Amino acid sequence: MARVVEQQPENPLLAGLRLRRTPEPCALVIFGASGDLTQRKLIPALYSLAFRRLLPENFGVVGVARTEASTEEFVERMEEAVKEHGRDEFRQDVWDALAEGMRYVATDFADEGGEDVVMEVLDELDRERGTAGNRVHYLAVPPAAMSTLIRELGERRSREGWTRLIIEKPFGRDLASARSLNQQLAEHFTEDEVFRIDHYLGKETVQNMLALRFANGIFEPVWNRQFIDHVQITVAESLGIGGRASFYEESGAIRDIFQNHLLQLVALTAMEPPIDFTADSVRNEKVKVLRSLHTPGPKNVVRGQYGPGFIEGVEVPGYREEEGVAPDSVTETYFAAKLYVDNWRWADTPFYVRTGKRLPRRETTIAIQFKRAPHPPFEETAADGLRPNVLLVHVQPDEGVSLAIGAKVPGQGMSIRTVHMDFLYGGAFRTGLPEAYERLILDAMLGDATLFTRTDEVEEQWSLVDAITASWPRDRPSFPNYAAGSWGPPSADELIHRDGRSWRRH
Amino acid sequence: LSAPAELEGWTGHDVTVADIERQIAGLRQASAARTDGPDLRTSVMTHMAWVPEEWVDAAHETLGGLAERHPSRTILLVPDPDAESGLDADLSLRCFPLHEHHGHVCSEVIELRLRGDRTRAPASIVTPLLISDLPAFLRWRGRPPFGKPELVQLVDVVDRLIVDSAEWPDPPEAYGELAEVFDATAVSDIAWGRGLLWRRELALSWPRITEVRELHVVGPRADALLLVGWLRSRLGRPMQLAHEDADALVAVALDGKAVSPPRGEDRSASDLLSEELDRFGRDPVYEDAVRAAHV
Repeated sequence: MARVVEQQPENPLLAGLRLRRTPEPCALVIFGASGDLTQRKLIPALYSLAFRRLLPENFGVVGVARTEASTEEFVERMEEAVKEHGRDEFRQDVWDALAEGMRYVATDFADEGGEDVVMEVLDELDRERGTAGNRVHYLAVPPAAMSTLIRELGERRSREGWTRLIIEKPFGRDLASARSLNQQLAEHFTEDEVFRIDHYLGKETVQNMLALRFANGIFEPVWNRQFIDHVQITVAESLGIGGRASFYEESGAIRDIFQNHLLQLVALTAMEPPIDFTADSVRNEKVKVLRSLHTPGPKNVVRGQYGPGFIEGVEVPGYREEEGVAPDSVTETYFAAKLYVDNWRWADTPFYVRTGKRLPRRETTIAIQFKRAPHPPFEETAADGLRPNVLLVHVQPDEGVSLAIGAKVPGQGMSIRTVHMDFLYGGAFRTGLPEAYERLILDAMLGDATLFTRTDEVEEQWSLVDAITASWPRDRPSFPNYAAGSWGPPSADELIHRDGRSWRRH
Repeated sequence: LSAPAELEGWTGHDVTVADIERQIAGLRQASAARTDGPDLRTSVMTHMAWVPEEWVDAAHETLGGLAERHPSRTILLVPDPDAESGLDADLSLRCFPLHEHHGHVCSEVIELRLRGDRTRAPASIVTPLLISDLPAFLRWRGRPPFGKPELVQLVDVVDRLIVDSAEWPDPPEAYGELAEVFDATAVSDIAWGRGLLWRRELALSWPRITEVRELHVVGPRADALLLVGWLRSRLGRPMQLAHEDADALVAVALDGKAVSPPRGEDRSASDLLSEELDRFGRDPVYEDAVRAAHV
């Protein structure tokens, strides 16, 4: 977390000092504080930051939700959440110091009076905890509540200090709604005050993609159409939809995963080297990739929905049998596509992407498959076990990088088979990887937007989704078309087999 | 962090380097055969330590808190110049389970007792054992014998020498000799690392600090000397040091006015060494501080 702070030439004592990035005093307001995200991710992330003394001394947290509860009840629930979901040992003194600055306000987000109460509590925190009028508003609320909340917060901006907004996904449900949200934000906030979160960008392994590509001289020269045959990006989940039926029915896999996480992974894999690691340099390069994406035609897109099946030996229901899902639902729980990045580096190099629920296991990987060696000087049978080189970036689980290479099988003759050279994060850096939300919340408090999504990125992402889904309302797909516990519908295999390729073996 | 399992071990008396290499390979094979998943050898460096007998316990303790963070081949060199000539080895594989993954990641610990005249050319013993292409760090316990062949030779094969000048009986005089090593290899001083949080705090006193005439420090003498050396060299002006001895840096005052203690976690000996093992290249600010502390 340490970063060399820009030296001020007039203070010679700062030379060579690695200053820890500690945010200015501030209050974090979580709208949607009774939700799962707050308990599983946000509060445990704040605890981990407190555990490492990365939070400012003058700090407060205000939970806001519709659920009736007192501050004491909220604090108690959050303590349990930290014990259950935190990655660090539970230390009462650390928790007590954090909990002392916690408040809870029960109100409807659309209620103007409720917002006034929140502002009163924030003023009180300024007086009692010295939070200096600096606010980070974390908006983890349903889409319907978003625009009202943005307006109310804009109208009640603190006169002192700074205000920043962290906005959870979904950011709109199509290009029009995303643009409308962006316009509302722009009425009250500047772009550098808005932090659209995509928690994938907070993951160490996703950031490591930038290190892998731009800190290693050996990869960049071959990172192009001359040497790479194709790229496969997989975001697989073994879970179903849990209690999120109403959300998922509206979004489906394309809006839930493809629009944000998958397209971000494509952008990081395909982007040109930024001139530096500042927010705008990195995001400029990502936007160029998103703009270069060719809209895939219907033949290059596959939708699927899971039927009943088995996950880890347990029988699970089909999507249409899940609670809250329409029995004739045509929401896709699987999405795959062949994408092309139409630029000099990637022309004619397909990016096969897929995501789905109820797949056999949880796995997010980026596989860079290189072209075959042009003329292996071995007998044909010798190279039977030989597959093309693949550079595999494991985003989760087993975070790390593997390179598949051909090696001689010991013994007589010249048999060759593929073996893996593995770099496992857990093996080389045994410090425990920080949770994505720790990094992102801290960055937002520090005003560093590098790992957040900019207006134009979001709009480019939605523009592609809109183009893909334009024909969907006219189709009646025959769902379900894959069994829970399988790797998706047969049409997804056909999508890639047509090109003489296949999905990675798992 | 989890506790290591020492899966395999081997001890040998009067051994050769070839014996050591063969036994290490054997330990790896035996360990891989015993565990249910593959054993990974992940190394980020070769970590050597020159550990005279009186420092052996402290070195083991530091190593215990370190191995997991810096998977490396560790070579402990225990000199015993008065004994009969020979080389003894105690080898072990320290393995850590991998989270969400079958198998272990294993590091090798090679403890070598250099007896009699085998202490004269230690670099010739460790050079074949260095892991290729990775940086090599040398932690020298106690006061280094500046100018003596064993130090000069080892400094020649490593990328960084790490000392703790608080372990020396004679700072600041020895700082003059230390400064002569700067052109041979990068140097880290754990006493300098201990002062980091205080230096951050003192940096905030700019520009008021330019008027200060005396620095008062309660802490180890080396830490105090390096702090005042840092201020003298950065500010380019003389500054007096008033020092009260203590086991840790606990208080600093500028012209009698206390500096508020820095926030930050307490760092163990392993943490401090671990930070130095993350550094590469020379640290000119530290080097200037050493030279100014010696004035």
